[in-house]
Amino acid sequence: MRRMVGEGLVLVVTALARNGWSADGATPLFSWPPAHRGLDWLQILPIVVAIPAAAILLVGLVRGRLMPAAATAGILFLPVAAYGLGALLLMEDSKTVRFCGSCHIMTPIVASLSAEGDSLAAVHYRRGLVSHEEACFVCHSGYGIWGTVDAKMAGIRHMVRTATSDYKFPIEHRGPFDIDSCLTCHARSATFRAVGAHQDPDTQQALFKREMSCTGICHSAGHPDDALMGPAS
Amino acid sequence: MIRLACLLVLVALVIAVVLAVRPTGPNAILFSFVGMPSLAAGILLFGVKRWRDGALSWNRDST
Repeated sequence: MRRMVGEGLVLVVTALARNGWSADGATPLFSWPPAHRGLDWLQILPIVVAIPAAAILLVGLVRGRLMPAAATAGILFLPVAAYGLGALLLMEDSKTVRFCGSCHIMTPIVASLSAEGDSLAAVHYRRGLVSHEEACFVCHSGYGIWGTVDAKMAGIRHMVRTATSDYKFPIEHRGPFDIDSCLTCHARSATFRAVGAHQDPDTQQALFKREMSCTGICHSAGHPDDALMGPAS
Repeated sequence: MIRLACLLVLVALVIAVVLAVRPTGPNAILFSFVGMPSLAAGILLFGVKRWRDGALSWNRDST
């Protein structure tokens, strides 16, 4: 039994290490994340904590009784720790484009990022103006701790809506898009400031009062319309 | 009762391991809406069992 658990752990660690070190067939310079980034401890720790808990629980399941200390560890402390670490992993991993694209509703939007097109998201993504790892999170979360909190709350809403199929196409942004996400990078850029329309005080006021957005009149939409219509069924 | 508690927590742990191996949206939904309630139910059952056994009582004899 101990040997089986050990071998299983080695297999899982090896698989995770391979994922972390794989270069997707690309040459090292063009592969990202960089090679040799090491083990993803956030992925490994919940498994390491879950294994002894599962062993205790299996004994409890078979025998129908457990020593109080073992039961407290196996039913309470270790699983709660595994879930805490799992929640931490979820908080971190939910920032990635891969995670966003793993739900079928978002798949076309993520696919449109690397496709040819003039949507703002695709232009930023293809030119490497946003992180390829966390592009969705960078633009759709506000800045500071409350931006992250809002993004996580939105993530929970997305999960509830996905689980209950409570959504309709085309997907619409909830409320006005926070243009601070745009201005944080662009406002100090010389090329941005050189544009005549950006210098107009009325336009600036309209932007700051959220009466006007970057997209619509001046710039193309964030995502192409067909991507917002969901996956082709 | 302890068997049911073990089963519920075991189900929750399997879901946590699945999420750790493949952190995707569907697994996150499973983790949040199946795993967490399952874990909570298992812990609750364990607490009830311990309470019925008298482990949580303040009036135990010290002898």
